[in-house]
Amino acid sequence: MNIGTNKKIQWCPGCGNYAIYSAFKNVVERNIENGKLIKENIVLVSGIGCHGYITNYYDLNSFHPIHGRVPPLATGMRIANDLLTVVGFAGDGDVYAEGMNHIIQAARRNTDITMIVHDNSVYGLTTGQFTPTSPKGFKGRSTPFGNPERPLNPITLMIVSRGTFVARGFSGDVKHLEYLFERAIFHRGFSIVDVIQPCVTFNNTYEFFRKRVYRLEDTDYKPNDFEKAVEKSLEWGDKIPIGVFYEEETDTYEKLVRGHENFFFNRDVPDITEILTEKS
Amino acid sequence: MGEKVLMKGAEAIAEAAIRAGCMAFFGYPITPQNETPEYFSRRMPELGRVFLQAESEVASINMVYGAACTGTRVITTSSSPGISLMQEGFSYIANSNVPCVVVNAMRGGPGLGDIAPAQADYFQATKGGGHGDYHSIVLAPHTIQETADLMFDAFDLADKYRIMVVVLVDGLMGQMMEPVEFKEWVDVSKFKTPEWATVGQGDRKERNIITSLEILPEGLEKMNLALQEKYKKIKENEVRLEEYEMDDAEYALTAFGTVARIAKTVVDMARADGIKLGLIRPITVWPFPEKEIAKRAEQVKFFFDVEMNEGQMLEDVKLAVNGKKPVHYYGRLGGVVPTAEEIYGEFKKLLGGKE
Ligand SMILES: Cc1ncc(C[n+]2csc(CCOP(=O)(O)OP(=O)(O)O)c2C)c(N)n1
Ligand code: SF4
Ligand SMILES: [Mg+2]
Repeated sequence: MNIGTNKKIQWCPGCGNYAIYSAFKNVVERNIENGKLIKENIVLVSGIGCHGYITNYYDLNSFHPIHGRVPPLATGMRIANDLLTVVGFAGDGDVYAEGMNHIIQAARRNTDITMIVHDNSVYGLTTGQFTPTSPKGFKGRSTPFGNPERPLNPITLMIVSRGTFVARGFSGDVKHLEYLFERAIFHRGFSIVDVIQPCVTFNNTYEFFRKRVYRLEDTDYKPNDFEKAVEKSLEWGDKIPIGVFYEEETDTYEKLVRGHENFFFNRDVPDITEILTEKS
Repeated sequence: MGEKVLMKGAEAIAEAAIRAGCMAFFGYPITPQNETPEYFSRRMPELGRVFLQAESEVASINMVYGAACTGTRVITTSSSPGISLMQEGFSYIANSNVPCVVVNAMRGGPGLGDIAPAQADYFQATKGGGHGDYHSIVLAPHTIQETADLMFDAFDLADKYRIMVVVLVDGLMGQMMEPVEFKEWVDVSKFKTPEWATVGQGDRKERNIITSLEILPEGLEKMNLALQEKYKKIKENEVRLEEYEMDDAEYALTAFGTVARIAKTVVDMARADGIKLGLIRPITVWPFPEKEIAKRAEQVKFFFDVEMNEGQMLEDVKLAVNGKKPVHYYGRLGGVVPTAEEIYGEFKKLLGGKE
């Protein structure tokens, strides 16, 4: 099984996106082989940014929509057809700036979608402006005198927005990413993995994070307590936790509103070429 | 006027706005105009003015709306998809009668499209885009120098009519470098807060309320009629165009922005071949130079409209010509820029064997 494509990968050499790409690829290939995922039922949605190219490199049905709108688009897909395994790839600019409102509502609503955020704390594709997760003082293309704003903590935000699976990964630890992606995909309800993804061109944070990250799974931390999860999410300094912060099983939106009815039927929708060549 | 400096269009936009007294910039990154906010981000803090990178274009335009309500000279710059997101704000700004300036460096659409230069937002800019009966003044420069000059006029017109002024350029104009000479700095220390602004009431008797809401239809109709009255005035007084080699022209090209620039070369090529071709170049695409084009319809044999879209200004040209003469069209889509040779070739096809 190989779900790669022959498209030439356009990311800069050393970019943190490669780790996300291969971790997700390994997880999906493994689970298609063992029958836990059905290839035809997987749909990928990607945001606009460097990260958004990821859908070009998987031989899976995918959808490249509007900057910032991955969560509502993924929600729409999943609501329309709950046979689908819907995975959204988004950037930090994409999902914590332009479309911030949506990720909060999606977490709260608890539709069964998985969000993977390529969090490089920079607008990569527009070449180096600060984002809501850039640190104060960050010097980028639009902050020559340093970013005056304080950063957002996506993990805390997602926990208090009642996301039912909230995790942080790091591109410097691919094995751990595989573990997180697998758990996120099979979690029933909204899941998010915020991946610290160094952008070697505009914000190379590999060294900074390599020195600081540790796996929650190597400690006796249990991700089943809301308040403890909030507290844990605030840890950010000499030591930075990666892993699952919070997890909870509760009814999904689609289950609550329509039980197990599925809206999806085989419909005879013509291909665009048929429409264009149709004789009247 | 000062000395000439070599500058990218995207930077000249920012420098001219700053010299024209723009006190605040709000915007969100988007290619192909990131050099404009980048330039603002360097220069505004040096001058004690504000550069703020917002969380989205929706936030940007609402920050602009807010700042404009205080009577401050304010700007946002973006490109097509970002401008689409701002349309709601544009409509509210129109019915609130507050002045501001918006630059759209148009790129290929629809949807995400590409980042190549295009002119496909003409309809959106000149015919609304947002909801309701409203217009913005829309300026369409064709060189970097003209862009720099029009940035000053944009702020003046915005203040004069309490209206939003759109400067419509494209990615090519943004990336191109040309020598520019800027007009004199506007002395911002002389700025007075306008009477209508929503700042502290002080000892004014009446409080100021800025709103686009009027729940009674008769009341809202009055608001609308007042807007239309203003638009009529603008149409009477602010139409601008350039007519190039039109005095003895037998054929007229119509084009705006980047295409107009290329069209000038086409006119020169035709003239070198002894063909009497001229160019009508609207500088204000709203208000549109209807009367001027109608007048030329008496003179020329046909019009040839060229655009980087599917023929949007074409509709305004046709309305102005009103069936008096044929109006032909040629255009490239999706960010493809036509060459002068290509346009000239198309023009000669229209002449057939006649010349
Ligand atoms: C409405 C809209 N605004 C702005 C843009 C320009 N734009 C393209 S990608 C991007 C963001 C890239 O940042 P991020 O989401 O962090 O992704 P990265 O490139 O870092 O992977 C922006 C602002 C756009 N395409 N659409
Ligand atoms: S610019 Fe940064 S995020 Fe984009 S591909 Fe290069 S390294 Fe990766
Ligand atoms: Mg990013």
